[in-house]
Amino acid sequence: MNMKLKKTNIILSCFVLLVLLVPLNNISAMEIKDQLNRKIHLPKQIKKIVSLAPSITEIIYALGVEDLLVGVTQYSDYPAAASSLPKVGSYVHLDLERIIALKPDLCIATRDGNPLTTIERLEIMKIPVYAVDPRNLETIIQTILELGRLLKAEKKADFLAANMRSRILKIKNIISCTQHRTRLFFQIGISPIVSAGSPTFINELIELAGGENLARGPAAYPRFSKEKVISLAPEVIIITSMARSTVFEKVKAEWNRWPDLPAVKQQRIYLEDSNLFDRPTPRLVDGLELLAKLLHPELFENIK
Amino acid sequence: MKKAKLNLPKRILVVNLILLIILAGISFLGLACGSTGIDFLALIKIIFKSEINESMLPAIIWQIRLPRVLLAALVGATLSLGGLVFQAILRNPLAEPYILGISGGAAIGAIIGILLGLSRFPGVSLFAFAGSMATLLLILVMASDKTILKKDSLLLSGVMVNAFCSAVIMFLISMTQDSRLHNIIFWLMGDLSVADLGQTFSLAMVLIPCFIIIFYYSNVMNLLLMGQEQARAMGVNIKLVIFILLVITSLMVSSTVSYCGLLGFVGLVMPHLLRIILGPDHRVLVPACILGGGAFMVFCDLLARTLPEQGEMPAGVITALIGAPLFIYLLKRSSR
Amino acid sequence: MSFAVKVNKLNYHYSRLAVLKELSFDIPSGNFFTIIGPNGSGKTTLIKILAGILKPLSGQIDISGQNLKQYNPKNLAKKISYVPQSVEIAFPFTVLEVVLMGRSPHHGILALENQHDLDLAYKAMAFTSVEALAHRKADQLSGGEQQRVIIARAICQEPQIILLDEPTASLDIAHQVKIMDLMEKLKTEKKMTVIMVSHDVNLAAMYADTVLLMNKGQIVKIGPTAKVLTYTILEKIYGCKILVDTTPLGGYPRITPVPAKYQKITDSKPLSI
Repeated sequence: MNMKLKKTNIILSCFVLLVLLVPLNNISAMEIKDQLNRKIHLPKQIKKIVSLAPSITEIIYALGVEDLLVGVTQYSDYPAAASSLPKVGSYVHLDLERIIALKPDLCIATRDGNPLTTIERLEIMKIPVYAVDPRNLETIIQTILELGRLLKAEKKADFLAANMRSRILKIKNIISCTQHRTRLFFQIGISPIVSAGSPTFINELIELAGGENLARGPAAYPRFSKEKVISLAPEVIIITSMARSTVFEKVKAEWNRWPDLPAVKQQRIYLEDSNLFDRPTPRLVDGLELLAKLLHPELFENIK
Repeated sequence: MKKAKLNLPKRILVVNLILLIILAGISFLGLACGSTGIDFLALIKIIFKSEINESMLPAIIWQIRLPRVLLAALVGATLSLGGLVFQAILRNPLAEPYILGISGGAAIGAIIGILLGLSRFPGVSLFAFAGSMATLLLILVMASDKTILKKDSLLLSGVMVNAFCSAVIMFLISMTQDSRLHNIIFWLMGDLSVADLGQTFSLAMVLIPCFIIIFYYSNVMNLLLMGQEQARAMGVNIKLVIFILLVITSLMVSSTVSYCGLLGFVGLVMPHLLRIILGPDHRVLVPACILGGGAFMVFCDLLARTLPEQGEMPAGVITALIGAPLFIYLLKRSSR
Repeated sequence: MSFAVKVNKLNYHYSRLAVLKELSFDIPSGNFFTIIGPNGSGKTTLIKILAGILKPLSGQIDISGQNLKQYNPKNLAKKISYVPQSVEIAFPFTVLEVVLMGRSPHHGILALENQHDLDLAYKAMAFTSVEALAHRKADQLSGGEQQRVIIARAICQEPQIILLDEPTASLDIAHQVKIMDLMEKLKTEKKMTVIMVSHDVNLAAMYADTVLLMNKGQIVKIGPTAKVLTYTILEKIYGCKILVDTTPLGGYPRITPVPAKYQKITDSKPLSI
């Protein structure tokens, strides 16, 4: 009688396991939810992907799965190798025809910028679209981990995440050595003068890097009059438009006409690459480190 | 005494048959060309359902290019016809479909819809339509008169409303900094890439009855060109006719603009172009504007999406770049 | 006797200005009826009201025995055609096309013309001597030619009553007489009632059966030519010295306004026959 019970138990447990495992198997290979909680039906094998934003292209290269990429949007310029890939329009105006012609297994989109109508049309044509929505450093790391899982690059993703987290921690520790919050005016636009407010990546970086964002507030890209900037007395001005160096020199000369500005007195007006600060990619941590060094050079003198 | 027959019905048929053939030809071109390349042979094979190796091309042709060609034809027809009707009602050769403030109201509605984060269809479109209907109502109220709808006050009201709307639009644009700015600009320039087969058919269901009603009044429009008083003396119920034409045309143009944005220039140049070639009789011009305007728009859209290496140009740019020189050339030829 | 037009207590205001005051008169069928009077007397307004273009403030108008209010525009256009004071054709229709527009009230939606319409059009154009211009663009013609085209269109409309507002104003003397002869022909051959505002009193005198003299929106005198065109009445209305004698052509009254240099002469002579 014991033997019979054992046998039934085994058969029963196998049956239960099967029942449990089979749908699990289906879910992980066939249907998942993306960052916007949309249900995505994935094919069993992902061999060809199209990136619908430059930041996503960067992450894919960082994860080391760039061989899967068959198409990118315009301005996917980092790393340099990405510029030679076929283009599918710009991320605000995608070229449906070109995307479809590439026959991708999956498209990766970003909520901020990609038009919903085009995404929906892609799905009507049976092309799955996985949308991400990175809002700050932590969600960027989450995105990298998720995409790593999605594209079978978990190891690289974990490594990247750990690296990013440790560097962020390091900066936090260094900055904690001082109470001073450097007054920073982060200038994105030259004419008109535009800065970055609280709902941007830059704001988070500035705070982590020990700065005070003089443009903080609910508006993402507030406008400033020259007067207003001067009255805020920034200690550092960072200019990150797509301007070339000649234009930068002109702008710098403009600010130099106000010798009472702390930033002018101490000659702390800098031109930096905007892509380090506004793309939700691992390079944002490079931007953080750069920012910290510019805002608190005194804390980094001893460190290499 | 035997006189030569005027042959008007024959003229209407022949002219429009030719235009229909042109429209069909250009539509064929439109289906064969796209940002992924130009291939006539493949298109013919796909139409006749024989085997082709490029398996995504049928999907591209039927689901992306076909709705777009259909939409371009509808939009070109609507805007050209709208320009024709307004030129007749207002007896003003500078009249075009946006002159009565429809564009301003639609733009404000659309921009508000985009800023609220709504999707192009139905959200933004509904807002745009509501905006254009609001401005139309405003203008009708401002310009109505007890006896005859004064055409000058209609025109002036339209110009004023458009100017006001332009100011509001500029204000809204200046307040926007993020990616929604792109969407707004694309909408203002006119964007045919939203074409969806189902939605285009729905639009056609609204537009085609409008075309028919306007054709019904084509002889009346001839009489209107003589002046409202003379038209009245020849049996036209001025108040009723102008009101109907105004409302139907505004409805037609608003629907189109709400869906695709403000494609410019077609509505001004096509009626003139066709009038130079075919004469001023609206019984010929109304169907000619529908078919000819449609063909012209399909052609311009075709160039807009295949010429540039990257992305696409706004179709409104092409219509002006081609239309203006063409018009000047025809004008010179006709005055000799 | 049947009446083409019966007007009873017609009033019309323009803004707050009374333009027509309690007008009452009748026009018999087949009559050559001319309306004269100084500028601003309301002549054009009256014609436009009869044509259905303006709506009277009060009063009753009967056209061919039926109240004007009961006509829809098309039916009215079958009875009455209208030639406005100044014509400006701004679109390149051919003369034939313009004349054929007069056939619209007799047709349905698209008003596609048939052979009958073409015949009528050519006859009308022959009447006003614009037949040779049939295929010319109407917007390139002179003012006088355009006027004659419009008159041809009005004839082509086959009305019972034809309304004309100073039709000879922009024509040379040859064509002035031609048009008046034409109007008379329309009256005698086609039995049309001709209602004409005329600025040329002498022409009116030679053709009219009935003259209506208006001033400041009211009727001064209505009746046969000789009764209305007397120097006492005319001097009073026009406010200047007028010599009225008889033209050797048919014994019609001939009206000559007196220039300042001759006023001394006429002071001592009687001014009316």
